[in-house]
This record gives sequence, structure tokens and C-alpha cells, in this order.
Amino acid sequence: MDFILESTKQAFLLITSFDNELVSIIVLSLKVSGLALFLATIIGLPIGTAIGLYRIKGHSFIITVLHTMMGLPPVTVGLFVYLFLSRSGPLGFLGFLYTPAAMVIAQMILAAPIVASLVHSAIINVDPVIKQASITLGATPIQASMAVIREARYGIISSLLAGFGRLMAEVGAVIIVGGNIAGYTRVMTTTIALETDKGNFELAVALGIVLLLVSFMVNAATHYAQRTSLIPLT
Amino acid sequence: MNLNISNVQVSYGGKEVLRRCSYAFEAEGIYMLTGENGSGKSTLLRICSLLEKPDSGIVEFYEGKKPLQQNIHLRRKITLVLPGVGLFNASVYDNVNYGLKLRNVPGRVVRKKSEEALDFVRLSHKKNQNALTLSSGESKRLGIARALILEPEILFLDEPTASVDKNNVAIIEDIILHLKNNRRMIIMTTHNELQARRLGDKVLHIDEGVLQERNSILNY
Amino acid sequence: MKRVMLVLATFMLLAIPAFAERIICASTTSTQNSGLFDFILPIFKKTTGIDVHVIAVGTGAALEMAKRGDADVVFVHAKDLELQGIKEGHFINRHDVMYNDFVIVGPRSSGSGFQGLGKASNVFVKIADKKYPFVSRGDNSGTHRKELSLWGKAGISPKGNDWYMEVGQGMSKSLRIASEKHAYSITDRGTWLSIKDSGLLDMKIVFEGDPLLFNQYGVMAVNPDKHSHVKIREAMAFIEWLISEEGQAAIGSFKDGKGNQLFTPNAN
Repeated sequence: MDFILESTKQAFLLITSFDNELVSIIVLSLKVSGLALFLATIIGLPIGTAIGLYRIKGHSFIITVLHTMMGLPPVTVGLFVYLFLSRSGPLGFLGFLYTPAAMVIAQMILAAPIVASLVHSAIINVDPVIKQASITLGATPIQASMAVIREARYGIISSLLAGFGRLMAEVGAVIIVGGNIAGYTRVMTTTIALETDKGNFELAVALGIVLLLVSFMVNAATHYAQRTSLIPLT
Repeated sequence: MNLNISNVQVSYGGKEVLRRCSYAFEAEGIYMLTGENGSGKSTLLRICSLLEKPDSGIVEFYEGKKPLQQNIHLRRKITLVLPGVGLFNASVYDNVNYGLKLRNVPGRVVRKKSEEALDFVRLSHKKNQNALTLSSGESKRLGIARALILEPEILFLDEPTASVDKNNVAIIEDIILHLKNNRRMIIMTTHNELQARRLGDKVLHIDEGVLQERNSILNY
Repeated sequence: MKRVMLVLATFMLLAIPAFAERIICASTTSTQNSGLFDFILPIFKKTTGIDVHVIAVGTGAALEMAKRGDADVVFVHAKDLELQGIKEGHFINRHDVMYNDFVIVGPRSSGSGFQGLGKASNVFVKIADKKYPFVSRGDNSGTHRKELSLWGKAGISPKGNDWYMEVGQGMSKSLRIASEKHAYSITDRGTWLSIKDSGLLDMKIVFEGDPLLFNQYGVMAVNPDKHSHVKIREAMAFIEWLISEEGQAAIGSFKDGKGNQLFTPNAN
């Protein structure tokens, strides 16, 4: 118990001193997961919306595939991205392996199905009358889709926050394709894994605390988004 | 603008909902489409307003003798208010000007027309309220305002006073009568025969998918 | 709102470096965890301006990675495998760099009879005989391979026995597991020195000194004939530096948190 308290105490000192290494690790985590989520949204939002709004042929098959991909173990995604980006692999010429770019790619692949699935859920929960009303008011097909998306905005924001939370918390994909290089591809989760392995618990605990804080803030934001979507009773 | 439908036929799940309906909507005024629940009047309205396509038959809009192409320009000259209305999770004000924004109408004009439209349906005092907090009567009024602001050549109203309290029924009927004075074509459905007689210039009746005109009061 | 998103997106895209002027060095977790690279690489960078990015995995993985062309240099401690790689044409320009040794460790409560056995393989014979719990890295690392060679010399096949645990973990973690299970194990002296007083282990050295426990580190470049993208000029610069006076001095002057020198340079 002493050991835990001591590590925690050292961790707080590390956090409040804004230690350089700690800050750069946190910033890289936010950049990698942030950019990956952004790219995943560009892919997943249109797909989720399209399946939700239009009766595409085989759409229930696509949804099943998306749900399966949502549960992809990050290490498996990491392995496949690694095989592709390795110099001996088809995309080796890009030279992306062991760079933050590879980490972004792996996390983008992890998040895209999540975004697509959850956006799809949000969209199909919008009353069909909304789309019809837009059309009767003179909306083009795209404008009508935009109206539905706007109605689903709180659900969509929740999906994005869920995706971000998942990315910040994963370690399997980024450690394989990033290589956990000091000062270059080390993020919070991979550093926790490394430092725990080495027995340096202060830095590991400090990052663990920060990670919990980030997770808490993401959840609070989601909660707030849900609450503002509720209609006031008076 | 006139509307001509010819031999419109629709089936849902093997059951024929509309059987070879034909009619020429030519003059201005209020056309009432009456019938029991499930007689097919909503379906007919949706087809006339181009929201849905019939299984067979022709729906044609004319300017004088010239048939109009059924593109977005035509669609933007007609409007339908659905029974469920379909208000957006936004303010009353943002709901009413939605159609204008779609058409890239400049801001000053939007503001002026929005205020006028809300005035007309007596909802100005609720301008900034969230539209989903309105009562069913107020929601219908907002739906009508949202459609009227676009000054459609033909206005379709599907059951505008269904599930609405007495006060609002009176207000809405008043609004519809005002519209008649503005020389436009209104085609609306109702299952209330008395309302049809009160408001309508011409009354049509659908029974089991068959469309007939009811002209003289003596038919009742 | 839209404008904010656009600015944010542009910022993020520019913020991620996709390419790096660097060479990749495949090495082992024990070398990385000792802190050696954190000490000598900044010195190398200052002298040559070259960034070395270390990917630390098990020895087997490091060699495989390099053979696939995902590294420019390899820095491991498995001389027989390194030389084999040279023979097969995967690598070129191998040099000895430094050494440390392995020690056999066990529960603090165990007796002192092991040291007198003379040879490391004899220690293994005794452990197998008495069925003492033994923790193995089990990950094809240099340490693991050294351990297997000793079992070989002892004429014993430990796999499959209850008392023999293959954990598939790095060195620190494996020792902590051994401590928890009151087991014996084999470790490089560097990791032992860095962890023995941390309060995490209830263990001690039970045998050391046999030349068989000698642990030679070597560096070599990936053959550019096999992988044309290898940054061979910078890779050679790194190797030359490691075996140069400056590099060797840097290695020799590296000490762990308690002032212990962990590696002895021996590039002659």
C-alpha cells in the first residue's frame, strides 16, 4: 500500500511540474488520436449516414460487417497495418513504419467502423418524417440528408467522443506500428506499458492518472451533449 | 399552375390502395379530399405532391397548356404539410425559415418573411422557443407557416386539423380561409365531412381507392 | 463552427511528421531498458547530427525485422545468429561492441551451494534435479538463447515440466515474476544491477563468473544489396562511431542510477 501511495505522490509531483517528457507524450497522444478520429470521421460519417438514409442493397450485410469490425482487437489491426507498411510489404515504399503516421493510420482503421456504426444508429433514430418534410419544403437529396444529419447531431457527437475515448485508451495497435520510440512515437498508453515493464512506476502512474482524467473529460462532454439534446420540460 | 392526374394506381403489400384515380385540378380555390381513415387519401396527396411515385398512371403539372418538367424547380413551387409535420429540433424561427435558406434567399428577406409568416399563424411570441415544445395545434400552425413562407403555387395539406384541440382547429381553419382569399390552389385531406363542406370549394371523395367528385350538397 | 474545424484539421495534419531523417536501430528490450541508448545516442547526434531511433524487441524479432528491411542497423547480443546472418548475406560489416555477463539468480533464502558447482551448466543440472521453479524469458531473446544453450550443455530438456515457466516477457518483468514465485532465473547483469535494490525483488545472485555466461554485443548494418532503401551511409557512421574511441568511451562511462558501469567496451 505504501508503494502505491508513494508512486502516486511522485506522480502528482511529476504532473504539476509539467515535466517536459510527460507533456510531449500527452501532446503526441492527443495529436495522433485526434487526427486519426478526424480521418475516421471523414470515412465513417458518410458511410453511416448513407446506410441510415438510403436502402442500399445488402445494407444489413454491411451493418453486420461494421459491427464486427467495431470489435476488432487493436493488436490485430496493428499486426495487419504492420505487415502492409513493412519494407517487405506492399506499402513499404512509403516509409511510414515506426512513425506517427503509421499510428494515425492504424487508429483510423480502428475508429472508422465505430464512427460508422454509431452514426448509423443515430441516423436511424431520427424520425423518417424529417427527411420527408425537408423534401416537401424543396430540399435536394443532399439538403434532405443534411437535415437528417443535423437532427442527429447530438448522437453523432456522442459517437465521435466514444471513438476518441477508445483511441486514447488503446495500446496494441500503436505499439506495434509505432515502435514506441523515445521522443518520437511514445504515447501515454505505450509509455505506461514500457515504464511498468521497467519498474518505473512514477511515470507510469502519472500517465495513468492523466489518461483517467482525459477519459473522464470525454465522458463528461458526451454526457453534456446528451443533456443539451433533451427538450426542456417547460 | 394546374395539376392533372390520370389513372393513378398504387398497391401496398398486394392490396390496391388507389384504383385508376383521375382528376384535373384547374382553378384556384380549396379542393377537399375526403374519405375514411385508410381510404387512400393521404397516399393520393403524397403522389400529387411528388413525394411518392404511383405504380402506374400519370401525374402532370401545367403552366397554361405546357407540361412542366418534374425537376427541383417544379418541386420548389409546391409544398406539402405532413400530418406529423416533421419539425426540426431547433427554434420556431429556424424552423419557419428552413425552406428559404434552402433556396439561398438573402438574410434581410428571410428575416422579414419569417416575421410575417409567424405573425400569420399567430406564433410570433414563441419565436425563440424550441419547436419541439409546441402543442400539437401550434406544431401544425408552424408547419403551415413553414410551407406558406415559400409562397407555393399549390399547397397540399394532409389532415391539418387532425389530433388538434378545438381552439387550434378554429385558428387553423381561419388561416386556411384567409389563404383562399389570396387566390391560390390548396388541396387538402380531411376525414371530417362537415369541415369539407365548411371550407371546400370543390369536394372529392375517396372510397376504397376510387376517386369521385362530390359537387352538389344534395348528394349528402 | 465549420471554420474552426478546418483550422483544427489543417493544424493536425501539419503537426504529424510522417517522415524522419533518421536511421532505425533494431535492438533488444534489455539493452533499451538499461538506459544505454538514452545516454550514448545524444552524444552520437551531437557529433554527427544523425538521429538514431531504437526499436526494442526480443533478439529474434530484432533480427527478423532487420532481415525484412524494417531497420538500418542491428545491435543485439547473439553472436552466433549475427554471424549466421552475415553468412546468409542479410547483414554486413559486423563488429564486437561491448560485453556484459549473465548471472544466475534465485530466492534470497536459497543456500550458497551453487557457486561451488564450478560450471553454469552444473547449476542447471541441480535445478532440474531438485525440480526448483525456474522462470524463462521464453521469447527467443539473447538471454533466452543463452539459457537454452546452457540447458543444452547440461543435457536437459526443461520444456513441459511443471517447474519450468516460460513467461514471454521482458527481463525486468520476468525477474519480478521469478521473485513472486520464489523461482530461479538467468539475467543479464545490467538488468540485475538496475533492479536489485528497488525493493521489487526478493532475490540474490547464486552463480556467476563462468565464461559460458559471457554476453557479447555486436552491431551490424542491413545489407543494402538486399534492401536498397537502407540508409547505408548513416548506418556505417553509427557503427564506426560505436567502435571508435569516442563511442567506446561513451559506453564505458555510462552508469546506471546507482553508479554501476553496466557494459564493458571491447571493440578491438
